[in-house]
Amino acid sequence: MKLTVDERWDLIEKISKETVIFGVYKHTVKDAIGELTVKPLTGIPIAFAVLYGFWSFFGSFAGFFTDGFFVKLFDEHWLPWLQDVFPGGLGNWFYAIMVDAGHMENGILVASDNCFESFGVLTSGFFLAIGVVLPAIIAFYLILTLLEDTGYMPRLAVLIDTVLHKIGLHGFAIVPTILSLGCNVPAVTASRILETKKQRFIMMTLLAIFIPCGAQLGIMEEVIPDTIGFVLLYLFTGYFILGFILHKVLPGKSPEILIDVPPYQMPMLRDVAMKLWMRVKGFFKIAIPFVLLGCIIVNILYLANIIDWLANVLSPVLSGWFGVPKETVGPLIAAFLRKDLAVAQLSAIEMTKYQMITSVVLVSIYFPCVATFMMLLKEGWKDLLGSIAVLALVVFLYGGLLHLIWILLGVA
Amino acid sequence: MEKKLSEMIYDEEGIVKRIEGGLRERIAGMGIRVGKKVKMITKHPMKGPVVVVVDEARTSLGLSIAEKIIVEVKK
Amino acid sequence: MKVLLMGHPNVGKSVVFNRLTGANVIISNYPGTTVDYTKGYMKVKGKDFTVIDVPGTFSLEAKDKAEEVAVKMLEEEKDAVVICVVDSSKIERGLYLTLEIIERGYPVILALNMWDIAQDKSIHIDAEKLENILGIPVIPTIAINGKGIKDLVSKIKDATPVETDKILEKVGGKE
Ligand SMILES: Nc1nc2c(ncn2[C@@H]2O[C@H](COP(=O)(O)OP(=O)(O)OP(=O)(O)O)[C@@H](O)[C@H]2O)c(=O)[nH]1
Ligand SMILES: [Mg+2]
Repeated sequence: MKLTVDERWDLIEKISKETVIFGVYKHTVKDAIGELTVKPLTGIPIAFAVLYGFWSFFGSFAGFFTDGFFVKLFDEHWLPWLQDVFPGGLGNWFYAIMVDAGHMENGILVASDNCFESFGVLTSGFFLAIGVVLPAIIAFYLILTLLEDTGYMPRLAVLIDTVLHKIGLHGFAIVPTILSLGCNVPAVTASRILETKKQRFIMMTLLAIFIPCGAQLGIMEEVIPDTIGFVLLYLFTGYFILGFILHKVLPGKSPEILIDVPPYQMPMLRDVAMKLWMRVKGFFKIAIPFVLLGCIIVNILYLANIIDWLANVLSPVLSGWFGVPKETVGPLIAAFLRKDLAVAQLSAIEMTKYQMITSVVLVSIYFPCVATFMMLLKEGWKDLLGSIAVLALVVFLYGGLLHLIWILLGVA
Repeated sequence: MEKKLSEMIYDEEGIVKRIEGGLRERIAGMGIRVGKKVKMITKHPMKGPVVVVVDEARTSLGLSIAEKIIVEVKK
Repeated sequence: MKVLLMGHPNVGKSVVFNRLTGANVIISNYPGTTVDYTKGYMKVKGKDFTVIDVPGTFSLEAKDKAEEVAVKMLEEEKDAVVICVVDSSKIERGLYLTLEIIERGYPVILALNMWDIAQDKSIHIDAEKLENILGIPVIPTIAINGKGIKDLVSKIKDATPVETDKILEKVGGKE
């Protein structure tokens, strides 16, 4: 027999009366902190402090290991050693793919002296994956896990609700958004906590276009430390502008927030360690094959002169519309596979600071990496088609807008 | 006195009287129901959400949801 | 045989799942951590069980896609045993979902998880009496340190469907 909502509550009340004794509840310090962090007056400054702390830790932790250790290891020992012992040598195609493609200087092919320029699978590939991205990913997930396990996330959700409401989402959308800063793949699935199709479409589209992943953030910290702030600002602004537009033009409902705010809790070391391990492992399973594959494919395309050909074909769009060197076509192809790899390859191309900003923005927004793409496909191909249509428009307009800004500022 | 949950002020307590529209099913499992005591923890400005305590559990509701819950407050 | 772990978001279903199957699904202190189901396996006295960690849901009227996954899972696994995990410190609303599942005719076991938190909040639940009224196994558990999990496993075989009328009778019938 099925009961109605009221009958069910009625029954529960009776059962509860017979079996449960509610003692006097004593308020604890946890509750007090809980309230301070969810009230606007105190909660918002605390949220800013927490997020700022997050970002600082991310930068310094990753920087410490990458610059302090891995750069030396890879550039001073690993690369020279491989250049020495690997069969073939400069000019050999297999050597170029695996170790060092070299570059032209005054008409002579010279060896690379760092792992950003060598492009080899064993050099650039491993350096990026292990030397740059791994520390970044560990730093990111360490903090994220602490935020998750203490119970801070739902409070952040409440605090940011008003803002996200303006773009058709609600506060809880902060969960997929922050997850996405680690990796877009689990973030796409996490969009399921949103109620309507409209909200999920907005969320997935915004994630796919505007949120750079942890790996990419790590590389950006490394190769464009001075301008990364601007790039992120431009991306996050895009997130809100597009969200606002989508909210206005799309049919469908945007229900409001309705969530539990659980009590704070001391994270358990074992759980934190386990989760960190699972996520780093998961990341590696997705990332390493694609980073290495990306190195191979781009190298082959270079060697077969396909990149040169494409660069010339696309030159009007790239240099004409977006104002970036046509050579960025290589990284843009790599970006299909891995955005981190793409940004790293950008750093080896000669261009102005402003062109660099535009190219990094383009790499970020122009197509979700293949792993994210597959995940979006799994959530529904119709939405994916829609997202891609939006994406194409955004890349063209929002990417072009940046070029326009540089022209107006007189720096293009 | 009856008022909307959204109109309660900080620290105010009330008893749920009515839940309007289809909202009853939606929040059925969350413990907010007719006859329950609710206490306001915080209200966010600019049409932001509210946070209330029901049975010592904190729940956050968007403003338009809170408007559909009618409570009886003292005085 | 199949065992479904159902319950509100953030009550500890995934911790229980990891305990039962030795898996390592992600656990966090916010509702909506699990948004897709995960299957795992356990062996009890030579019998194989498939255990499924289901996304949290407040009721069987799904309000988002994660809840849809949960409700669909329940509907698809017609002959599964359901372990209903509730947060003991929020026992009343936990019973809401438990009743909904019982009403649908599933054999249910009730895990009163977060027993430690209920005690901290000086909420005392008479598990035996509750077991008696509901007519289903009721086991206090603290998933994070494993307390009660063995008991839970051993009671799976005792779960049988219960008529709502029987429960109503025990507390004095419908008014
Ligand atoms: N104190 C205490 N905490 C617990 C207990 N069981 C689980 N937790 C904590 O409760 C939180 C939620 O646990 P999960 O297993 O992720 O909850 P879930 O039910 O799977 O949640 P969803 O996947 O969101 O539906 C975690 O922070 C756990 O550490 C318990 O018995 N006692
Ligand atoms: Mg879970």
